[in-house]
Amino acid sequence: MAENADAQRAKPKSIGSELIIPVAALFFTLYYFYTIIDAPWTAQVAAFIVGSILILLVVLILIKSVRSLGTGEGTLDFSNLVKPKAYVPKRLSLLALTIAYIFIVPSLGFTITTFLFLSLAMLILSDWRKKRFIISLSATLSLGGYLLFIVAFKTRFPAGPFETFMKGFL
Amino acid sequence: MELDYDLAFFGEMFARTFSFWWVILPSIFLGLIVGAIPGFSAANTIIILLPLTLAMDPETGLMFMVGLYASSRMGAGIPAILVNIPGTAGAAATPLDGYPMTKQGRGQQALAMSFVASIAGGLLTTVIALVSLPWLSQIAFYLHSVEMIVIMFFGISLIATIAAKDTLKGLIAGFFGLMIGFIGTDVVYETPRGTFGFLELYDKVPLIPALVGLFAISEAFAIIENQSILTERGKAAMAKPGWAATFEGARIAASRWWHITWNSLIGLVIGVVPGAGAAIASFVAYQQSKTYSKTPELYGTGHIEGLIAPESANNGVTSGTLVPLLVIGIPGGATAAIMLVVLQFHGVTVGPDLFLTSPELAFGPFTAMAVTYTLMILTVLPLARYMSNITVVSTVYMAPIIISFTLVGSFVPRAYLFDMNLALVFGVIGYVARKTGYHVAAILIGVILGPLMETYFLRAMKMSQGDIMVLFSSNIGNTLWVLLVVSMALPYIMDHRRGKSEKIAANDPYG
Repeated sequence: MAENADAQRAKPKSIGSELIIPVAALFFTLYYFYTIIDAPWTAQVAAFIVGSILILLVVLILIKSVRSLGTGEGTLDFSNLVKPKAYVPKRLSLLALTIAYIFIVPSLGFTITTFLFLSLAMLILSDWRKKRFIISLSATLSLGGYLLFIVAFKTRFPAGPFETFMKGFL
Repeated sequence: MELDYDLAFFGEMFARTFSFWWVILPSIFLGLIVGAIPGFSAANTIIILLPLTLAMDPETGLMFMVGLYASSRMGAGIPAILVNIPGTAGAAATPLDGYPMTKQGRGQQALAMSFVASIAGGLLTTVIALVSLPWLSQIAFYLHSVEMIVIMFFGISLIATIAAKDTLKGLIAGFFGLMIGFIGTDVVYETPRGTFGFLELYDKVPLIPALVGLFAISEAFAIIENQSILTERGKAAMAKPGWAATFEGARIAASRWWHITWNSLIGLVIGVVPGAGAAIASFVAYQQSKTYSKTPELYGTGHIEGLIAPESANNGVTSGTLVPLLVIGIPGGATAAIMLVVLQFHGVTVGPDLFLTSPELAFGPFTAMAVTYTLMILTVLPLARYMSNITVVSTVYMAPIIISFTLVGSFVPRAYLFDMNLALVFGVIGYVARKTGYHVAAILIGVILGPLMETYFLRAMKMSQGDIMVLFSSNIGNTLWVLLVVSMALPYIMDHRRGKSEKIAANDPYG
């Protein structure tokens, strides 16, 4: 137990992944400065003050990170992001399904797309077990969502064939 | 403004408001639902239901809107505690201690505490707002662009020091959020900045996709690593359902009455300042609660005061935002602005005269809020037991449900498909931030404060003809700058002193 704790403590920090946000912030700030280069001074001040503080903070964390690398307390890897590795395929599948959801929902509408997304995502995450339960749950949730948000709340959810068909009855 | 009303008048007002229970009760349940779902804020719902509220007479319409507003504020804390997803930005500080409690199987108790803190805080500040209207309304007059800029920096610094374990990372997250908040065309010159050429970003970064992405999507991708959001101890605790946890939660919260009072007053004062809002109030309350606590090290681990402070503060804001609306006609927030539109539709002019010409309309929102909070004691508190059952749902089902319903929720406010893509982008940023110790709350608050801060900067610069020293030109502003530095330094100083006294105690042979 104590050995495990020691091993945990001795494990170097994953510096590479910790620098993603600061580096993204740095590049975005520089891009933002580029877009306001011709703006009047009064319109530049806020971005210059906040952006300069942000750049200073990023420089500080870069210095801190280089020191950690130098002392061996950190390594330049991205393992933090994919840990635990066993879940990488499931996480990537969920991401792919989410992207597909965004692209399909304008044509198939909320109810059908949500049913397909929920069924597939739950089946993948459950290793294709409890198929009947998952399909009934997905159907109940998507229909419940349709009744609550579209019929009751009259919310502007994306409409597709199902919503158009049901409009004729309601 | 001189107001001359006695207790009998207020008694009559409360009795009259209670007669609207049939409007207030449905608005409470609707408010709880819309508050709990990201994308369905009280403001959006009132907009959707405008045909209904406009058809009502002004007084009934006001009762409905106020009931919905107050209960939605409380509803936003429910998913924040149970699944780490705040319903609105005002509940962004609630999961800091609420969610760890849920993981420990204390979700029901945490909900009961949150409900008691919200109800007591909301009720108390409503009564205080009612009796101190003339004085409270003056606060907004003293805060100009410069003071507001310092308050915004205050907000970001507080969140950075609270939300992240590493202050440097917290500050980077907060300032990155501010820069994202600057995206769009500026209010004076209409020049597009940082939009990457997307027309949909010309009107600033929409808040709902940012909230959905940073909190909901990223959380859904993170929770699939475990079968349940509960720890093993939490599962064991949840296996014994009963009313005891609700009563215990209510008792614990009630025993912290002073904490609730103090933090709800912070919320009230911040709520009076137009634009400051519940998000800042809840983080300010959390920070001061932690600073003056005897056990600051427990904050973030499921600490009772860490939950009570933001919940009582963000409900204190609710009554605060109505003060400038009714007294000087400046809405303190989005929902108050929509109430103003409804009142104007009915030909009601808001301002000091309203207290003389239609006192039932002028005081009505406050008495409606007090009645709403009173009714919520009976209707909402018992629900804690049943709501907490959501935490036993496996992540296999929970993660896809969170993604699909919140993603489509991000589409609702503007009906742009682009906003769903934006939510996914924020989801990726949120996931990376969660995995690497940059707290998503700091980024979100930055996104919220960015446009406000920029507007105040532009105003200050215009007035001073571009002189940057205007930031140090006001006494109140300078005092706030000093307080900002002190609030950043105080936790370090107190930590240092605590460490020193512990060292002395450890070396004391008689101790």
